[in-house]
Amino acid sequence: MAIPISQVWTVFSYVWKQRLKGNDRYPLVLMLEPLFRCNLACAGCGKVQYPPHVLKRMLTPEECFAAVEECGAPMVSIPGGEPLLHPQIVEIVNGLIARKKYIYLCTNALELKRRIHEFTPSKYLTFSVHLDGEREHHDYSVCREGGWDIAVEGIKEAVKRGFRVTPNSTFFDGTDPNSVRRYFDEVMALGVEGIVLSPGYSYDKAPDQHRFLGRARVRRLFRAILSNRKKSWKFNMSPLFLEFLMGDRSYECTPWGNPAYNIFGWQKPCYLLQDGYAETFKELMETTQWEEYGAASGNPKCANCMVSCGYEPTAVIDGFLSVKGLVSMAKGWFSTYEDEHALKLLSDPAPHGATTLVQIDTPDREMAAK
Amino acid sequence: MTAEVSKYTIEQIEALELVPGTEHEQLEGWVPELASEDDVRNALEKAFDYRGDVTITTKPGKKIEAFIFNRHTGATLAESYVQYFEPNVNGKQKLGYAEIARLEFTGKDRAAGKHWEDWVKAYNERKASGEKNIALHPDKID
Repeated sequence: MAIPISQVWTVFSYVWKQRLKGNDRYPLVLMLEPLFRCNLACAGCGKVQYPPHVLKRMLTPEECFAAVEECGAPMVSIPGGEPLLHPQIVEIVNGLIARKKYIYLCTNALELKRRIHEFTPSKYLTFSVHLDGEREHHDYSVCREGGWDIAVEGIKEAVKRGFRVTPNSTFFDGTDPNSVRRYFDEVMALGVEGIVLSPGYSYDKAPDQHRFLGRARVRRLFRAILSNRKKSWKFNMSPLFLEFLMGDRSYECTPWGNPAYNIFGWQKPCYLLQDGYAETFKELMETTQWEEYGAASGNPKCANCMVSCGYEPTAVIDGFLSVKGLVSMAKGWFSTYEDEHALKLLSDPAPHGATTLVQIDTPDREMAAK
Repeated sequence: MTAEVSKYTIEQIEALELVPGTEHEQLEGWVPELASEDDVRNALEKAFDYRGDVTITTKPGKKIEAFIFNRHTGATLAESYVQYFEPNVNGKQKLGYAEIARLEFTGKDRAAGKHWEDWVKAYNERKASGEKNIALHPDKID
């Protein structure tokens, strides 16, 4: 298990407190977006396409702290935009640590090595570094040659200084499972705590609209990637969520599990969709028509979604609130998920995406259709 | 949004191999007709989804250049409003649907165009010519 016991206990006891209070809808992770400005222009990202005067706006530390207090979630993820471009990010992080929140600061790490000395290692602080696979694939995904090398330098420096680090990967159509498994070997050798991964969400504002995986393909890809695991691989995620990605579990979305707060307010209904904003967290919870979201609703905007911010809360709650769930999680943490069929998937021809850059040496072969 | 719900069955969702990408509607430069209540509601719904600035002319004749990031729709236009940011103005602003006389999609649509495809083509050409450290950079904002 990659996640520290203290963090597991914090979330476990929080979930049980909510159950004992009779609370059916509660947040687990606040997605705190202090700005949308970014220093990358990634192909699959639909988060940063705004006019300059909007990109210049930022949440103040006080606004961040008020949102955290109002939401009450035990964990805070800080994505963006690129949080390290926020001039007061250190003050924000220190304020959240003082409030004993477990923080995942999501960064592309282009600025990490330069700014790392401003942060202090803490069990509450994890740098979640955007790394979409092996060098060539990451650079393609973030549309920047040399991006992988800079990010890895940042990871090495953070690990050396005693910080918790988790590489965070998003996968799209065209992902080669063998390449991802090689990538796991590579990042674990860097000394990271555990790996975080998710299929990409089909942002309608993202530049590349041709590589968003549907559910059938997500399950096949993640079964190939995550079965027959090496013991050296650690995942900083619920094992039940990983089983969901592999097609072993059927879950419904918990859109209120990871609520998002940014310069516009509380985003309805979730971190990925923008169907409006609420002024307060209470208003978000009480006025969002939750039944209109998630796969079961038939909402086309939720059709392909198997993303961690909607389904990992479901998996965490499932794992913590029953003996069966706890046993399944314990098994998951130690299992290598032996699977003959998945081994065969690995020997299928490597896929290629809708577009391939010259630098990626990928054979021109179609992905197997089953 | 509500009208689209239940477009897919769960069987269709589970069998989906690849998500059909979104075709961006060309809205930049559009000046919608605001003759009826439906016209106003539809135009402001598109303005809410638009990733560029618009220019609003109020009924008294004031022009506001704004990025609309939220809308609240009530039973009547008087009960409906948009929220927006104006360049160089701190804080969120609010304006009722009933106060809007004209709407123009004047700002650049930051999510539109073929810049991804254009970039891939340019990348391949630059790479083939031996260039290194090629990158797609975000728009400058300062």
